[in-house]
Formats: sequence, structure tokens, C-alpha cells
Amino acid sequence: MRVIVTGMGVVSPIGIGTDQFWSAAVNGISGIKKITSFDASHLRSQIAGEVNEFNPASFLSPKYIEQTDRFTQLALLAADLALEDAGGLGAYAPQRVAISIGSGMGGFATFESSALRKFRNQPVPPFTVPRTMANSAAAWIAIKHRLKGVNLTCSTACSSGANAIGMALDLLRSGRADAVIAGGAEACVLPLTMNGFEILHALTTSSNGDPARASRPFAKGRDGFVMGEGAGILILEREEQATRRGAKIYAQLAGYGQACDASHIVMPDMEGQVAAMRGALDDAGMDPDSIDHINAHATSTPLGDIVETRAIKNLFGDRARHIAVNATKSMIGHSVGASAAIGSIATIMALHTGTIHPTINLEEADPECDLDYTANHAQQKHPRTGLCNAFGFGGNNASILFTTLNEGRD
Amino acid sequence: MDTAEIETKVIQFIATKVENLDTSTINRSSKFEELGLDSMDTIQLLFDAEDAFGINFDSEEAKGFTSVGDIISYIENHQAQASS
Repeated sequence: MRVIVTGMGVVSPIGIGTDQFWSAAVNGISGIKKITSFDASHLRSQIAGEVNEFNPASFLSPKYIEQTDRFTQLALLAADLALEDAGGLGAYAPQRVAISIGSGMGGFATFESSALRKFRNQPVPPFTVPRTMANSAAAWIAIKHRLKGVNLTCSTACSSGANAIGMALDLLRSGRADAVIAGGAEACVLPLTMNGFEILHALTTSSNGDPARASRPFAKGRDGFVMGEGAGILILEREEQATRRGAKIYAQLAGYGQACDASHIVMPDMEGQVAAMRGALDDAGMDPDSIDHINAHATSTPLGDIVETRAIKNLFGDRARHIAVNATKSMIGHSVGASAAIGSIATIMALHTGTIHPTINLEEADPECDLDYTANHAQQKHPRTGLCNAFGFGGNNASILFTTLNEGRD
Repeated sequence: MDTAEIETKVIQFIATKVENLDTSTINRSSKFEELGLDSMDTIQLLFDAEDAFGINFDSEEAKGFTSVGDIISYIENHQAQASS
């Protein structure tokens, strides 16, 4: 039994819809700009990957807009695009279509604005809780499309989207669902949230005057990540049923690995990352020599990119230097719980088109980052297999493995 | 704010809570239930009105509201009190 990807929807700082996103990614376009959604002059990091083109009124009624946070709205658009791409899921009973969404912060835009009102002794908006709760995106996708199957939300910080896709794989293998709408959504370009990451020295502060060059994974002198927002959604089905309904097939979702560092709440640990990648390979019944491409977690923090590089070298040995690694975050920043869902779409598109998108802003690599990161220009590598890594606070490591249909076991 | 302005505002707020509602049919005697407003919608409507008109609804009194007119009358009375 194989699980396959039959539809994709992406809402990102470099494009809405897979075509626009992929065209920008292959051409190395940066979506990082000065923050426009609020006055960021009090922050040390004043740039972000915002989805400036996003207009909820273009596809949602006033009722939906009033009752939903921005992260839910981004998820709703990505889900609409993915379902349209898949040709709809009307072939399945609504009770057999599951939804599995990841989000690190949930409806934090609502939380921050309601908290501000509370501290000013103003009335708190009635939809504060239903807009803030992390499962609201999954719930609203279900309401909008009347889908009554398993409805799950995963909140594991920066790896939320990867785990949500992994959970979807488990749902299809176990027979709990016939199709899953799976991915991640995040909208935390927000004053309090950014201040919180800033205090941890996680955000870049050196490039406010040159936003497009701020996110530079693996590069010498990088100094933190750029906050991003967006959503990525996949439609996943079992191959036999998808083929029967005449669905187009992008790739196979072949494996999912998960491991906890159980050491530090925010510092990354190489062993946990190795365990997650190995877990994905074992799950797919594949060995390290069969991996062609890695869409790295690569947030552009000084420590994180080195640890991930070491983890890849530790697991893949000599093979590591022949793997085409890239960092989607170099162009869109770090969209936390959405990042691995968007990274998955980049991985799938690499398998589907044969092109590895570049890691931009990589003129000179950190000496401790010595792999092939697809620096600055896209490469035609025709990968057959690709891992998408996601490593979150909480020592939460996830890795998902996609292959072309000719690879992997049945 | 005069009565006509208050009515227009309240009807605008109601229109954001119910899909495909014909606002031309709404008047003071329209019942929330007939318009398709559920209890959460009504709470949000009161919140919108508090923000827009600078008043506070007495929560016990507001529980008894069943029609558009109930809200408008309350706003009229309390705006009058505030300015007297």
C-alpha cells in the first residue's frame, strides 16, 4: 500500500499557488521585506516574510473573516487551492476524509490583540478563544468543506507541519481515513511573538536595511532567522483509490521519522536529528545511499545550520556530499508550523520537475557548513528521493521522505 | 448619532454574521432567530455595538434581547443618558 500526493496548495511570501511559488523559488526570489502589518520600529528585527498579496475578502465571507484568525485564513486558502488541484475529494464519503494540520502558535494574532484590549480595560472580543485555539484551522477547513472524518492538530513548534503530514501518513496506513488534507499554517509576524523570539537571540537583527539578504542559511556571518508566515497543504490518498478516481499523482509519501532530543528545550541536538532522518528511511524501507535531495530545516541561525550539517554527515557519511541540499527559508523566512509543509511542497516539486531550487544569499559558506547547498542557482538534478527536515523547540525532530513513484517499496 | 444612523450600523453588523442575508428585510421588529443569528453571533453583535457606540450593555438586561429593536432602543437610551 502506497500513500501518494495528489494535490498541493501553498500561500507564501513568494507566491500564492504552487505555480507562482515554484517559479519564484527556482528563480531565487526573496520574499523578505520590511514589516508592513504593524509598526515594528520598537523591534530589533524589523523584517519578515509576510504574504502581502493575501486578501481574505477575496475568498471568504464577512462571517468567516470575523470568526477566524489570520493563520486559519491562510490555511483555508491553501486547502482550497490543494483541493482544487486534486480535482476535489467528492469520491470519498465525508466521514472518510481526515484533516491533519500543524501550527506552532495557532491564532496568536487574535491572542495578542485581545490581550492588548484586556490590559487597556476594553471589552474582550467574543471570538477570542475560538479564533486563538490551535485546532481552529483544521476545524474551519472541515466546516467549509463539510468534512466529517478524523480532525487533528499538531503543535510541536517549528516541526508542526512535518508531524501533521506524518500523522496523515499513519491515518492512511491504519485505515482511519481514505484521504487526508494535511499541512501547516502560521501567522505570527506579530509584535509580542517576535519580541519573544528576539529575546532568545533567535532572530536576525543585522539586515533591517537589506531585507532580501537577511535570511542566509549556511552562510558565513548569518545571525538568526527571519520571521515568516504562510500555509502549505497536501492532499494525500492511497494509491489504489486515487488511481481509481483518476487523480494526478505528484509523488509518494514514503516515510516519516520522529524523535525527541530529551535534552534542552530550545537548543538543537544532532543525535535527535539523525534519529528522525533514520526513522524516515527505516519507515520507507530505504537505505541512506538512496537519498538524492534534502530540503533542510536550515533556519539561518548560527548553531542550527551547523548541527543539521553535522547530522546529515553523520547519517549519510560519504553520500552526504552527493546529496543536493537546499533551504527554502533563504527566500521565505521561517514560517514556524507552516515551514515544513511549504518545504514539503518544494521537495515534491523537486521530484516532480527535476529541479532543485537554490539556497540564496550563499556567496560564502560557513567553514563548518560544507555540503552542496545548491548555492544561489537552481540545479537540474532529477532527484528520485527527497527528505524534508523539521526541527522544533522542545527538541522535536521530524523528517518526511518523498519519492517518485518508481522508488520505494509497495 | 441619530436613530437612522444607529439602525444602519446595527444592520451592517448583523450582515457580517449571517451568510447571504438580504439586509433590506431587516427592521426593528426582526427577531434574531428569524435572521439566523445564533447565541455567539448575538454576543459578537453586542460587542460590535459597544465598540461602535461607546456604551456598555448590562449583561443581565442584554440576555433578554430578542430583536433588533431591543438593541437599538438600548443604545438610544444609553447614548441619551451619556449625553445628558
